Amino acid sequence: MAEPGLIEQQLAALRAQLPAGIVEELADGLAETYASYRAAGLEPQAAARAAICEFGDAPTITASFADQAPARRAARALLGAGPVVGECWAGVLLYARAWHWATPAVVPLVFGALLAAVIALLLTAALSGGYRRARRAAGAALAGLVLLDLALPSALVLPGLARGWPVLLATGASLLRAAYAAHAWRRLHAR
Amino acid sequence: MKAEALKGHLDGMLLAALEAGPRHGYAVIEHLRAASGGRLDLPTGTIYPALHRLEEAGLVAGSWSVAGGRRRRSYQLTEAGRRELTGRRADWRSFAEVVGAVLEGKPWPSPA
Repeated sequence: MAEPGLIEQQLAALRAQLPAGIVEELADGLAETYASYRAAGLEPQAAARAAICEFGDAPTITASFADQAPARRAARALLGAGPVVGECWAGVLLYARAWHWATPAVVPLVFGALLAAVIALLLTAALSGGYRRARRAAGAALAGLVLLDLALPSALVLPGLARGWPVLLATGASLLRAAYAAHAWRRLHAR
Repeated sequence: MKAEALKGHLDGMLLAALEAGPRHGYAVIEHLRAASGGRLDLPTGTIYPALHRLEEAGLVAGSWSVAGGRRRRSYQLTEAGRRELTGRRADWRSFAEVVGAVLEGKPWPSPA
């Protein structure tokens, strides 16, 4: 059954925002909705308008997918965990009196810039109304977090700059977060 | 009944809609509409994100088929989904008994 242009416009709007597999599924549901109104006696254009009204317009559906997306959930969880892991490493730096280290100034600057970028990407993923934008931001943030959480313990522990229980605690926190971020990244790219 | 009033209960209702066998998204919303006597008032398209979330949680399993020349995704309960549905039913009965007893001023139901 050929569907009027209104429905194709709706699907085109959804294709611009959502992955192809999701749109394919929605197309089937929208077609069934349209068919039910046609079976009830409505003319094609009226049936198409009624179907879109019942189904929900593209912004409503896209916002609903974005709100429940794995990207958003992972970003919010990591934004919540960030201060905890950060406090652990702040404790390590205080305990090891990091201000006495002969570290080139560029090192903390690069680390700080990377951390700021990850936080900005997580905020984008957590707050964005766009499904694709949230997914891209989350994917980049998750990769950046894994890098940070593996690099920081390596940079401090291996050269013997920091020792003791604070390092064990902070390294454990980082490795847990890296494992969660890696798992979330795989789930994000599974579809 | 509007979507806001159903918050927290939609997942249980979706699992119940799949209890009898696999359904695709539109069939799920049709079942909910029929079971509620037409009182459920949800945009049909917003069911799909909830079904995807249940699938990611391992409570339902999706599969593709072809119907009417289109690809169709249907969902069915997993064993974990059946256990979750049983738990949600028990939770709902307890909730309904407590709230009903207070709102309607009836004595707490005694075991039969």
